[in-house]
Amino acid sequence: MSELTFHDVSVHFGTSRHRLIAVDHVNLTVGSAGILGLVGESGSGKSTLARAAVGLAPITTGTITLGGKPVPMKGKNRPLAMIFQDPSASLDPRMSVGDSIWEAGRGAHGGEDKQSTITHLLSLVHLDPKHAKSYPGQLSGGQRQRVAIARALAGKPQVIIADEITSSLDVSSQGAILNLVRELVDELALTMLFISHNLAVVRYVSTRFAVMYSGRIVEEGETSAIIDTPSHEYTRQLLAAIPGGSS
Amino acid sequence: MATPIKRAFRTPLAFAALVMISIVALLAIFGPIIWGAQASEVNISNMLAPPSWEHWAGTDALGRDLFTRVLVATRLTVLLTLEATAIGVSGGILFGCGPFLLGPRFGKAVTWFIGIAVAFPGLLLALFFAIIFGAGASSAALALGLASAPSFARLCQTLVAGILARDYVGAAQISGSGRFRILIRHILPNIGEPLIVNATIGAGSVLLSFAGLSFLGLGVQAPAYDWGRLLMECLRSIYVHPIASVTPGVAVVLAGLAFNLTGESLAHALGITSLGDLGLRAKIRSLRHDPSITLDTDEPTQDAIVCVRDLHVGFPAGLDIVEPVRGVSFDIFAGEAVGLVGESGCGKSLTALAVAQLLEEPAQVWAHSLIFHGTELLDCGNDNKETTKARNHLLGTSMAMIFQDPMTSLNPTRRVGEQLAELGRVHGGLNHRQARLRAIERLGAVRITNPERRARQYPYEFSGGMRQRAMIGVGVMLTPKLIIADEPTTALDVIVQEQILDLLGAIRREDGAALLLISHDVSVVREVCSRILVMYAGRIIEELPSADLDQARHPYTRLLVAAVPNMTTDITQPLPTIPGRPPEPGPIVGCSFSPRCPLADDRCRSTDPDLITNGNTRVACWHAGQPLVQIAEVVE
Repeated sequence: MSELTFHDVSVHFGTSRHRLIAVDHVNLTVGSAGILGLVGESGSGKSTLARAAVGLAPITTGTITLGGKPVPMKGKNRPLAMIFQDPSASLDPRMSVGDSIWEAGRGAHGGEDKQSTITHLLSLVHLDPKHAKSYPGQLSGGQRQRVAIARALAGKPQVIIADEITSSLDVSSQGAILNLVRELVDELALTMLFISHNLAVVRYVSTRFAVMYSGRIVEEGETSAIIDTPSHEYTRQLLAAIPGGSS
Repeated sequence: MATPIKRAFRTPLAFAALVMISIVALLAIFGPIIWGAQASEVNISNMLAPPSWEHWAGTDALGRDLFTRVLVATRLTVLLTLEATAIGVSGGILFGCGPFLLGPRFGKAVTWFIGIAVAFPGLLLALFFAIIFGAGASSAALALGLASAPSFARLCQTLVAGILARDYVGAAQISGSGRFRILIRHILPNIGEPLIVNATIGAGSVLLSFAGLSFLGLGVQAPAYDWGRLLMECLRSIYVHPIASVTPGVAVVLAGLAFNLTGESLAHALGITSLGDLGLRAKIRSLRHDPSITLDTDEPTQDAIVCVRDLHVGFPAGLDIVEPVRGVSFDIFAGEAVGLVGESGCGKSLTALAVAQLLEEPAQVWAHSLIFHGTELLDCGNDNKETTKARNHLLGTSMAMIFQDPMTSLNPTRRVGEQLAELGRVHGGLNHRQARLRAIERLGAVRITNPERRARQYPYEFSGGMRQRAMIGVGVMLTPKLIIADEPTTALDVIVQEQILDLLGAIRREDGAALLLISHDVSVVREVCSRILVMYAGRIIEELPSADLDQARHPYTRLLVAAVPNMTTDITQPLPTIPGRPPEPGPIVGCSFSPRCPLADDRCRSTDPDLITNGNTRVACWHAGQPLVQIAEVVE
């Protein structure tokens, strides 16, 4: 079971005098083998929540569990992987695509052959295996994000956190990445927390989503139900703001 | 990284540096082998001889030839310099990476220690160590190395901190890599370049300091000799033989310069990308004025606020020129909102920058005509100060440009209100009071609440959406005739995006300004604009009213529209995508979209279709309007 659960999680930054509450007592469950969308405006705490899950942000209170056990924040072979917003910042410019992918999967692969592992992962994200020798600077934005996805898959994670993975891409690459995300989650039975500020994108990839507003989860449920009858004011604004939306 | 370095060494200064450093290296290797015996040949009968044909720099107190001694001393001098630099750089890396390896608590202590060490003057520190370790070459090298370590440590620490903020370090942490592994695999390779550059420049000053220590008698001891020691020995007889004492000094200066210039050239090489070329400029000039180039364009439209005919933007590439914008023609009428869409790399921003006259060298702009508000902007042949001034005044007062990142155009050190008011004073001819009132009024007009208080704040006190409003406020300070907005909402989230788009629409209605809105997202553009230009590979491939976007005739436009999911997208089907990416600027055979087009056939691949006007639409496609049933198959 790879159900990711946030139990009463808070993340505070700063000193006791200048305290910033980024995440405020969040309870959230990302169901096994499926995508949970998480939407909210910039500064709502959704990225901090994601970083807390993988140990990049310190948790002030609460626990995060995977299949009932606390998520390990140390050591090799971690069950969670993350894909970042901007692939030009999340890939080491001095490391070839193949090395980046192999390096990330060190904890997970046993005696597997490096070349075939890289080829397999690149073909999973529909990239030509010849790109293993390329450097990130030689690839387009969409291709780089595919490499970042392959790198996230390399550690054979049970859960993937995708933080605004299409918002730095062209619309033409966005569609391809969204298709890929849906395909991989189905094929590999992954659990995914998919963060975005664009409700139309979240609607396309996930059947359930949660809305975060100033550090709290203000709404959660079936995508179609929330879109038909949003209960929180912020969700209503969000629905009204979608370009080319139906509302 | 070989290419930019090679390119940079084509500059005269860098070439000189390369020659000098090679001479120093060759002397260090072969000097003692060739002249070693000659330099230590004692000749009592010819002590302190003046310069002569036999002894170019004269002889020393034991009658040894000074010039060969200077040449031979190169090896010891350079070796000791490298040794001291190596000690300094290793110490610097050790201490600079220490804070990261030791974790936050102990790391802080290391940071403090570096801070204190940096505050000591380097040479004083070297003298202090030299006295502790005692006189001698290796102890002087150790002393100088330790003295130069703190500044390398500080540099290293800053570089490491910069890399640590990158997401790829985060990704490595998530995948379970330890700190030491992250250091070796991700941090060191990425800080290597600036470190090498600084070490090379540092070697130059170490060389000077080493000469100083030897000169003081704390460095190299007899019978060994380096330049500093030669300088000391010769200085005793400076009144008798001035040339003799100058020679080792010149060697020190030249070698020091060699290291410094090499470092500077390396730094330059890693910072710059390309160099202009005079022949190329002439080529472009001839292109501009070549009457044989016939233009497939109609005459400029009189009542348009912007009238562009056959606009090109080129960049030098080697001896040739690449054209990211290849002959773009369009009009924008007063008060009209026009959208310019396409993927990144299609030339949208370059087109806008060319219209706004914001492109600088090495970019080259040429066009049949580029008329803004009745004035030809590219009238290069008969330019004088008057017309240039008038043109700049026109651009300054009547055209506004809004960029994706508002922080690039707002000065972070000045209050927002002042920045607006300054425009009113400089370009609008308002006095201080009028300008201030106008600034506050404009901030209100861009829906900034409590504009009087906000005008006194600095840009950092504004949120992202607020800053974008403030920048639009700057743009509309002088009631422009045209606002060019380049991806103004791409960095913002949907709700703020909606507000900014509404605001642009309202400003346009209130002030009667025309708008050129650039975006890669068709759904954004169609909300605001009445007419849409679609750009691909440096050309306009379709123009249509935004109401007709769903009946677009070019396959590229239709794919762009379909690729953006909205709230009615069928979620059971994969999203239509456009495989591949736009071509790099360069020679293109046939239709530029043909390699990615589901409808492409042999004619598309061999002949470029013309942009055909049909009523109020234009399209460049051999298969315009044909159904895209094949798209689904291509995607699968």
